[in-house]
Amino acid sequence: MTARQQAVTWGRRLAAMTWKEVLQLSRDVPLLLFLLYSFSLSVVVSGAGITMQLTNAELLVHDADHSHSSRELIHRFQPPYFKFAGEISDPREGLRQLDQGKVMVLLEIPPRFHEALMSGERTAVQLLVDTTNAPQGLSAAGYSVRIAGLFGTETGLASAGLSGAPVTLPLVSSAHRVWFNPTQDERWFQSIAHVLRMTTIFAVLLPAAALVREKERGTVEQLLVSPLSPFQIMFSKVLAMSGVILIALSLALYGVLHPVFHVPMKGSTALFFLLTTLHVFTTAGFGLVAATIAKNQAQVGMMTLFVVGPMLLLSGITSPYESMPQWVQTIMTFSPLRYYIDITYGVMLKGAGLDLLWKPVVAMLLLGGALFGFGMWRFRRQFQ
Amino acid sequence: MALKEWKETTRDRLFLLLAFLLPALWLVVFGYGLNLDVEDIPFAVLDRDHSELSREYLHRFMQSRYFSFQGYADDERALDRLLTETKIRAAIIVPERFQEQLAAGEPASVQTLLDGTFPLHTDIAKGYVIAINQAFTEERLIEYLRRTRGLSQEQAGALVRPLTVEVRYLYNEEVRSTWSMVPALVMFTLMLASPLLTALGVVREKETGSIYNIYSSTVSRAEFLTGKLLPYIVISLVNVCVLWLMAVGLFQVPFKGSFLLFFSASVLFVCCTTGIGLLISLLVQTQMAALIITMVVAMIPTILFSGLLVPVASLTRGAKVQAHLYPAMYYTNIVRGSFLKGVGADVLWTDLLALAMFAVALSGVTYRLFTKRPKT
Repeated sequence: MTARQQAVTWGRRLAAMTWKEVLQLSRDVPLLLFLLYSFSLSVVVSGAGITMQLTNAELLVHDADHSHSSRELIHRFQPPYFKFAGEISDPREGLRQLDQGKVMVLLEIPPRFHEALMSGERTAVQLLVDTTNAPQGLSAAGYSVRIAGLFGTETGLASAGLSGAPVTLPLVSSAHRVWFNPTQDERWFQSIAHVLRMTTIFAVLLPAAALVREKERGTVEQLLVSPLSPFQIMFSKVLAMSGVILIALSLALYGVLHPVFHVPMKGSTALFFLLTTLHVFTTAGFGLVAATIAKNQAQVGMMTLFVVGPMLLLSGITSPYESMPQWVQTIMTFSPLRYYIDITYGVMLKGAGLDLLWKPVVAMLLLGGALFGFGMWRFRRQFQ
Repeated sequence: MALKEWKETTRDRLFLLLAFLLPALWLVVFGYGLNLDVEDIPFAVLDRDHSELSREYLHRFMQSRYFSFQGYADDERALDRLLTETKIRAAIIVPERFQEQLAAGEPASVQTLLDGTFPLHTDIAKGYVIAINQAFTEERLIEYLRRTRGLSQEQAGALVRPLTVEVRYLYNEEVRSTWSMVPALVMFTLMLASPLLTALGVVREKETGSIYNIYSSTVSRAEFLTGKLLPYIVISLVNVCVLWLMAVGLFQVPFKGSFLLFFSASVLFVCCTTGIGLLISLLVQTQMAALIITMVVAMIPTILFSGLLVPVASLTRGAKVQAHLYPAMYYTNIVRGSFLKGVGADVLWTDLLALAMFAVALSGVTYRLFTKRPKT
């Protein structure tokens, strides 16, 4: 046999094994239905379901002054952050509404508010914030303090005759431009994040479970005495499962992200799919290593859980990566998802190409190679 | 039956080790490692003024614990590239004549570029920028008024900052993230491990065919199901105690409520989670399907919709419905309630009731679904 013929048979065998995996998976109807759900309906619900930014916080006012200044201040609490929910005459009524969760913020303006401001005295307003929902409560308080602070400075200067056209003041104004998602549409972020989560979970579990199944039933011995090399046995599983995951991913991309959430694809689609394949392969490496250690599905389940849990929570989609303690960041250099997050948001929202993304790509290649190598080594040693 | 399942489980030493080690280890990793506060935002600077004042302005960002300085850029193109590479999340551009304008009493404008890919973090970063900027402006104003109007520090201060806001945070006075995190993590670890164990326990019998022995034996349906569940419930309850000890001992989270309430809620919750595993195991045929479906069903709603990271109050309608259809949310309320708030059954009875209903409903459904004479 020539080298070429050998290569052809090698490829054919790999293809046959891969096809066997696809067939086996396609007969598992509940699993396929579930895969479909995970990449369609589930993305819709999660993408649209979570808003962590402050919107329309219900604001209740107890105005004991009823002056020009107090009305002016109340008027500054505007949508989209705040929604005026009415005025009350009794502060206890306000507390009751806070207790019932009807309003989020209660602003209390003291009597003589206007007088104090006009005569250059210091005065204070009280703000009661419901922080059951901690991030939103904190951000509501933050906005209120800023609004009131600015209002105070302006009225204070105006009362001293220091504002208006002829007088200029050394004020530093801060202008912001938000890039890559100018309207700060949170659904873009959440829907992409959900697809990343799903891709990662399936990429670890599908090949791992498929390999352990053979081990548990003992069919792996039959495969090993066949002319298949260990590499072909392992790699065919990864190939089959990656194909399935990529199809599911394109379903999510063209069936949900684009039409429903209008998520843009600024960079190259081909690059995105290429790097997704790399991510799926690398992540599958974890599954394979776990599969070579485990003897049955229960063990492999626990072991992958061990890997997937921290990966999902600490890689940077559920919590800000830069704020993590250093040791977490060190551990997370082993998480392919950590690189894939930069790649996905980079390609889709920032339009980054390989010239900017080569670092995470190289890191992922190294990681994937190492995992596959280790998995292969263990797999061979176990059976030979 | 329970004894048989127990023996089968304990024989698998690696598995047993993982079943006990995993929750404890996770609590340590997430308890210490998961930080939800946005800090150390990497930023770069383009200083076109190179003056003393511009350096002072920028210095405030460098010293803030919310920002982490990554270096100076030469032009806007460089900032562009750094933002696209995700090397930085924010960039500050100080214009030319910054010091000159301010010294002459004229306004100046500083520009901030923000990475908008993570909208919540962008919002928070914007807030920090505005706050630092406001403080700087106020100080410049006070200084300017003293210089030009001959006012005292006190007078100028009253002019610039006449109004203060006294903020009172209700219901969560100690806004400390570890304290609210660790109790919820107890829920998280329980939610993940126990359904997985149960689901695989039943499907294993299905796949190997040993379930036919059960079909033909005198073991009743109820005996079979309880027998399957009991060992995993016991493992999970041991874990509850270990996690509780760790939360109180290691993380020093105050436990203000009653342990009895907490423990009985945990029993109910563990019944629910193992029930979910059992339900899935009855619906699928292969261990592979059981493994994957349980993992996703247990993990995704727990991360997103249980109140662990995202408060249920900030979900939209569809997601809120999903949150209520899931036992994890109620248990999170009970755990947080009994750890931090010290509230008792009088407040938490709705959550307890919901958990109990879930437990009953799940066991009812599984009892109906499991027949000793499958159709095929």
